[in-house]
Amino acid sequence: AGQDVGRSCILVSIGGKNIMLDCGMHMGYNDDRRFPDFSYITQNGRLTDYLDCVIISHFHLDHCGALPYMSEMVGYDGPIYMTHPTKAICPILLEDFRKITVDKKGETNFFTSQMIKDCMKKVVPLNLHQTVQVDDELEIKAYYAGHVLGAAMVQIKVGSESVVYTGDYNMTPDRHLGAAWIDKCRPDILITESTYATTIRDSKRCRERDFLKKVHETIERGGKVLIPVFALGRAQELCILLETFWERMNLKAPIYFSTGLTEKANHYYKLFITWTNQKIRKTFVQRNMFEFKHIKAFDRSYADNPGPMVVFATPGMLHAGQSLQIFKKWAGNEKNMVIMPGYCVQGTVGHKILNGQKKLEMEGRATLEVKLQVEYMSFSAHADAKGIMQLIRMAEPHNILLVHGEAKKMAFLKDKIEQEFNISCYMPANGETTTVTTNPSVPVDISLNLLKREMALGGPLPDPKRPRTMHGTLIMKDNSLRLVSPEQALKELGLSEHQLRFTCRVHLQDPHSDTDTLSRIYSHLKSVLKGYAVQHLPDSTVMVESIVLKVSSSAEEPDLKVVLLSWCFQ
Amino acid sequence: MDISSDEADDWFMESLHIYRDLHVFQLEHPTKVIEWTGEKSICVADYSSARNEILELLLPLKLYAGGNKGLCPERDFKLQHGGFCDEPVECLRHIFGKRCVVTSGQYSSKLQVWDIGEGDSDIIKRTGVINPKCPSDKGRKIASGVTDGASVLHGSRINDVQQTELVSGRVLYAVGTDSLDAVSGLQFVNSSTFVVCANNGTLYVGDTRDPRMKHYVLHGSMSGSHWVFALRKDQPHSDPAACTVARLSSFGQVLVSDLRNLCSPVRQAQLNLQQNMPTCDFLNVTWAPVLDSCLAVSGFDGKVHIFDTTSWSTVSQTPQPVFVHRGHDLSHEAKTDGTLLVVTTHVWHPWRPRTLLSAASDGSIHVWDWVDKNVDHF
Repeated sequence: AGQDVGRSCILVSIGGKNIMLDCGMHMGYNDDRRFPDFSYITQNGRLTDYLDCVIISHFHLDHCGALPYMSEMVGYDGPIYMTHPTKAICPILLEDFRKITVDKKGETNFFTSQMIKDCMKKVVPLNLHQTVQVDDELEIKAYYAGHVLGAAMVQIKVGSESVVYTGDYNMTPDRHLGAAWIDKCRPDILITESTYATTIRDSKRCRERDFLKKVHETIERGGKVLIPVFALGRAQELCILLETFWERMNLKAPIYFSTGLTEKANHYYKLFITWTNQKIRKTFVQRNMFEFKHIKAFDRSYADNPGPMVVFATPGMLHAGQSLQIFKKWAGNEKNMVIMPGYCVQGTVGHKILNGQKKLEMEGRATLEVKLQVEYMSFSAHADAKGIMQLIRMAEPHNILLVHGEAKKMAFLKDKIEQEFNISCYMPANGETTTVTTNPSVPVDISLNLLKREMALGGPLPDPKRPRTMHGTLIMKDNSLRLVSPEQALKELGLSEHQLRFTCRVHLQDPHSDTDTLSRIYSHLKSVLKGYAVQHLPDSTVMVESIVLKVSSSAEEPDLKVVLLSWCFQ
Repeated sequence: MDISSDEADDWFMESLHIYRDLHVFQLEHPTKVIEWTGEKSICVADYSSARNEILELLLPLKLYAGGNKGLCPERDFKLQHGGFCDEPVECLRHIFGKRCVVTSGQYSSKLQVWDIGEGDSDIIKRTGVINPKCPSDKGRKIASGVTDGASVLHGSRINDVQQTELVSGRVLYAVGTDSLDAVSGLQFVNSSTFVVCANNGTLYVGDTRDPRMKHYVLHGSMSGSHWVFALRKDQPHSDPAACTVARLSSFGQVLVSDLRNLCSPVRQAQLNLQQNMPTCDFLNVTWAPVLDSCLAVSGFDGKVHIFDTTSWSTVSQTPQPVFVHRGHDLSHEAKTDGTLLVVTTHVWHPWRPRTLLSAASDGSIHVWDWVDKNVDHF
């Protein structure tokens, strides 16, 4: 029934560090294929030594569903980073998911409640726009991603190289979530999901219109509308929408908000306002959750009241609790409607009815006939083709990596990105490794003396298009790099300079005196080495530039002249 | 134009009753062409940017979900194929029976032939260029041939109208007239008969077996008016006896004529529409393929107007539209730079009676299914 399937788990090696981005579960499989294949990291044993950190972008199960399995069953004891709201909401979803999979479907190779708790103990929460030092070389920073409460895009930096991973994000603001935002951080690689890259999204108002139309149609014919919700944000948005609509159309049918939701509401409400930015707080969160004119708290006895009504109830997948109770009461009447606002895990009633099932088996062998209208409205916001282009414009990456798309079906997008931004676009398949070579710039300070010396050497001025080699000594101390003259370097190191002098002896047979031999050598050199300075010095040496020549002989063999050449290394 | 959010809200609320379906999309760049390339797909193309993309889009699946509509959340356009054109696209036509489109551009008089591509790749590739064999204006108008051999009829002025075979580039037919009237549109009636409408409203009816054409000058046409036409036929190969021609002028005049008798219109009307901008580029009139005698008009402003011509007579009156789509005016998300919004093109869905697609100068593209108050009950 058009439900999203997919799992995210990306391994990045940068500057010698290994990072895992997201750890999602594949919701379409029932066997081990639903977990990421960790053998890419190591064939056996725990992952702690191989990973520097794990980062989770948001609480959707296809991004964090396999986290407890990875940390507790495969084994990982290092830090797990996520935003505060993600940390608060993740364990609840994981526990729900675990209960459904184990209790309702009878699975055995699955993580336990204790494992979820142990996993969450390893979590280090992140704040937006704050740089966190994972160790002395690796730092990370979270950016606002929109999409759902707590979703973040993450920048990972080692030295002067960086990678940005977007997770899921959206570029058009919702009523309660702003649009994703990132600065011109110019990462070497921008990693983004491309599942929706080939869509052009229908406007938010049209989705809302559809929702209102469905609700109105049902109310008009005297039916009841059940809306199972989980996350506060989406529920609140729909409430505001209904409230406005009710006001405009002067509708009288009651709208209720179930008690299970009100308890969670305050908790999430606080979480929400401390995490989002000022602008969101002002525009949306101003109103008190329960100051609706037309929306009241629900009491379970109301479900039996005759006539039309709308009820928001938890949990979101109709797998237990109040929403399931209400559903059981209303399912048999075709005038009624249930609106499912999101993805439902396999095994839940929500999943079954979205697959068109008309008869459900309940506890105690009772069958439930599903006669009410089932509507699936996807409210979740993802970036489409336009959104990806907007994000690239914002961040200005040097390269872009698109994941979770089919390469053949994305050749046009790749062309478009490459043409418009003049950057490389990669589209690796699952299991494929992409290597991107970066050109990190290494900043070096050069001493003034050295610069002056280079200038004094003459020749053309330094030109960025025509690099010129120069000599100096590179000193790397703490985190700075300096280029200085050799003398300066020696001085700083407290070493004395050594001058190297080389000598060589040439043996000649010459019957003349030593002095005469020297003179003859001098004349000869003078005539053949025309461009060079050749001098005959009074101290009986000949100098060719800086090479010194001396002639000597022994008393026993006066005809065997020894010409001593000596020169400095330069 | 600043829309107060109240007016926009009002329209959205009203839309619950006046539309069965409504989808509002924002393309990166505006298009002035929407062409059906399949039962569920359309082609659009840039006319205003440097990169001029041609896109083939799959319509939202929700429209086609029928009985299972509730269970289908897919409301979005899916980009199936894309390509780049070296000039802004003036005219785009799908070639009958093939996965191929032909475009003309605003910078040159050439036509470009594109292969839309099948399962494997999503790139729209250019496979050929047609250069008209005579001097021609830029932005030629195009019509697809309706026979199995892929061909196009194209022209910028009446005297340069010709039919070219796509694969070989061979000129199959050229008109034999001197008329320098600019072409505003052309279309095949069947495999050999075709109709051409000139900017001044004169209609030409030709046959590819004969270079001579019959022409029908418009009497009493107001000077300065620009005319476009629409041919209503029931199938790709039609008997001229079953065809109706509608002509629309930039002053809002509409003439409906039988193809067998183009001298005297059987119905006419003076629409109460004024152009809000100086260009006639976007003037468009179309016949509804399913509804009898209904036509849609756009290009005057940011709306699409639908009229039922059944009650029109030979005496010109000012009819009221049966429906006006105001969505582009009232829901545009793109920031305007003060320029007026105009609907650049619209098309009817081939078999859903009241579904249309319309595009506007702000890049918006809407898919809408309107409710006829006289017929349906909401």
